[in-house]
Amino acid sequence: MPLDITLFGIQMPTLLPIFVVTAVVQILLDRVMSDGGVYQHVWHPGLFRTAVFVCLFSIPCLLIYR
Amino acid sequence: MRASNVLSASFKLLPWQRALAEWRTVDAPVLIYMAKATIAALLALWVAMTLNMADPRTAIFTVFIVMQPQSGLVFSKSYYRVLGTIAGVGMSLLLMGTFAQDPVWFIAFFALWIGLSTAAGLKYRNFQFYGFVLAGYTLCIVALPVIETPLEVFDIAVSRFSEVVIGIMCATLVSDIIFPRRLSDSLITSEQERFRNILSTLSDPESVFEAFDESNPALNRFSSGVVGLNAVRINSSFESGADRKERQHYQHLNHEYMNLSTTFHSLKSAVSAIKKRERTEVLNALIHLYAPVASVLKTLPDTLLTPGDMNRVIGELFELKNTTQARLESEHERLKESASVEGEDEFTSAAYLIVRLLIELHSHCVTYLSLLRHRLSGDASRELSRGVRFSTHTDNVLVALAALRGSGVLLITMMFWIWTAWPYATVTITMAVVIGLLLGTMPNPLDGVKDFFKGAVIALVIAAVYDFYLIPQYTSDLLTLSLLLSPVLAYVGWMTTRPKLAIFSFGFVFMFMTQCALDPYYKIDPTKYLESSLAALIGIVFGGLAYLLVNFWSCSLTQQRVAKSLRRQIVSLCSGALNVERSALESTGRDLVQQFSTQGRLNMRSSRLVFEWLLTTLEIGRSILAIRRSLKRIYPHYYHSSIDTSLDAIKGYFEAPSQSGRERVLTTLGDTINGLHSAVMPKEKGQMQRIKMLIVELDLIRTVLLNSETFPLNREDSCRSI
Repeated sequence: MPLDITLFGIQMPTLLPIFVVTAVVQILLDRVMSDGGVYQHVWHPGLFRTAVFVCLFSIPCLLIYR
Repeated sequence: MRASNVLSASFKLLPWQRALAEWRTVDAPVLIYMAKATIAALLALWVAMTLNMADPRTAIFTVFIVMQPQSGLVFSKSYYRVLGTIAGVGMSLLLMGTFAQDPVWFIAFFALWIGLSTAAGLKYRNFQFYGFVLAGYTLCIVALPVIETPLEVFDIAVSRFSEVVIGIMCATLVSDIIFPRRLSDSLITSEQERFRNILSTLSDPESVFEAFDESNPALNRFSSGVVGLNAVRINSSFESGADRKERQHYQHLNHEYMNLSTTFHSLKSAVSAIKKRERTEVLNALIHLYAPVASVLKTLPDTLLTPGDMNRVIGELFELKNTTQARLESEHERLKESASVEGEDEFTSAAYLIVRLLIELHSHCVTYLSLLRHRLSGDASRELSRGVRFSTHTDNVLVALAALRGSGVLLITMMFWIWTAWPYATVTITMAVVIGLLLGTMPNPLDGVKDFFKGAVIALVIAAVYDFYLIPQYTSDLLTLSLLLSPVLAYVGWMTTRPKLAIFSFGFVFMFMTQCALDPYYKIDPTKYLESSLAALIGIVFGGLAYLLVNFWSCSLTQQRVAKSLRRQIVSLCSGALNVERSALESTGRDLVQQFSTQGRLNMRSSRLVFEWLLTTLEIGRSILAIRRSLKRIYPHYYHSSIDTSLDAIKGYFEAPSQSGRERVLTTLGDTINGLHSAVMPKEKGQMQRIKMLIVELDLIRTVLLNSETFPLNREDSCRSI
């Protein structure tokens, strides 16, 4: 994967679209987990959610920068 | 409330333990919040400086804008701030790309955009309002600085947007991770408080059967509190803790509460009508009918309700619900024997209201129990199939006025800029627009502008100390800068927890952040500092003048507008579509009145009057819907055309209220009721029930109309008194 991509004639780091896509995925996942009652079994939901997001975001980042 | 519970529990403790408990519940949250705000702001500063952003101040400013003690508020505010910033950035790119060469069109579209965002900000509630404010404000901070060099607009747009996103991410991250405070917790406490209020009001027969007392706080408490709680619920939906089921429960509780308070009010007005005519037997029969309900509610303990208590009460209420019809009949019989026949209709309608109150109370309790169970163990006892929407209504005149004010102040400051040709006048424009956008929804914007001005002046002094002494003298790197800044940041954090200082602290933050030298490389110029401060203060004055001048809103005008829109609601119910839900009816009316009472400068007396009008409208509207629905199900040979005549009379009366119209409606209603009484009752049980329902509903409308002396005739000028 290239480090920069061009969207609508604007050059930007690939991280940016990845971030947006990850955010959407995270929102969907969050909805599913809260309706499924996952957060009732988690000690610190906020921290858990942030950690999930960091995982989701860093996997494609690692793929790019490997 | 939770704090008071902890406090009352702590009376058994030792003195130092009590002090500790008090400190933990009262002072510690403030300290934690101050620490959170400071950490988030410094984090934003660090990220923005590390990424070499052009203006790290925007990031810190954003942190303070979205920072709130509760996480849900931060999320929803951030969400709308991002949306608003995207809209504003897009608009400024569009405007600069299209009209950079043409001042007239540029200013015209600028004014249009500001007007639109002011109007939309008033039209939408809660933090949605904030998104529109930002859409207008962003246009100012992106387009105006580069107006001489339009080619730079893309760079500045991207960097402003990135700074805003950095600020938002830092604020949400910190508030969700470090000691998060859930909005849903405060939601359940206020729901508990409201529920207890209902029970304590209803458990006291005096509060039901005594006359309206203007100073009675219990009654006012019972009638307010719908709209506010709905706002909290909307914001809490941004927290993941509150899942779909819980949201549905809150929607239903809110809806049932609205119904309960309407029924309660109608019952009270029916009772006061009976009292006025001194029908003691009827009154006694009603009190007798109500007594068991009160005695059941009295058995509930004053402390926190457990599911066990609730279960018992619900069982008893259910029992009552089943036996009430029989008791109603027997009371009716006794009344017939002892008293004259005239009181009969009054008794039926009031008794019907008591039965309705009981049914609604029962279902409210069931939903509440279900919510308690859901929170405690995750299994709701009641399946709620659908959500209840909270519909809103905004008056168009209010919105148009705000739009006019927003565009007007922009045009005036633009003229100021063009005539003086002062380079710093762009700051004036930005400031005036911010004032116009932000304080527009406040009950008293002029006081807000004064507070903002005071905050701005104090911030200027402190910013000067930082710019010319502290920062050049003591900072060498990011760490020392952070250490130096943290007292001010913590102070701002403290101010935002004080509701009285809200606008003051906003002015403070705004001015401090525009004037403090937080650039990536230290650069400060005393002339620039003085000139831009002066320009900003002039902008605040312009904004304040706009509130002073564009203000045709007065108490009696507000009353007229409210009465008109309420009347229109009844007229449309008389002939419009039948698929209006009662929840929509209730919530639009309440939202409307709520908005008018913050915007419309009503005094105590007239806002109480307006609330009475609202409840009258709701009751009449509900009755009309019920009548029209049951008319559809009645067999043609039982159909009485007189019912149509009375509906028409009601419609005509509310279209053009007059004294003669009022008398005509009352006589038509009376004739119709008498006609229905004397007509042959159908043999089938269902049809008979329906005809009886019709009589009761018609009678209810008559009672409400008889009792409402000020609506819709608006005889009394309550604005002039006081």
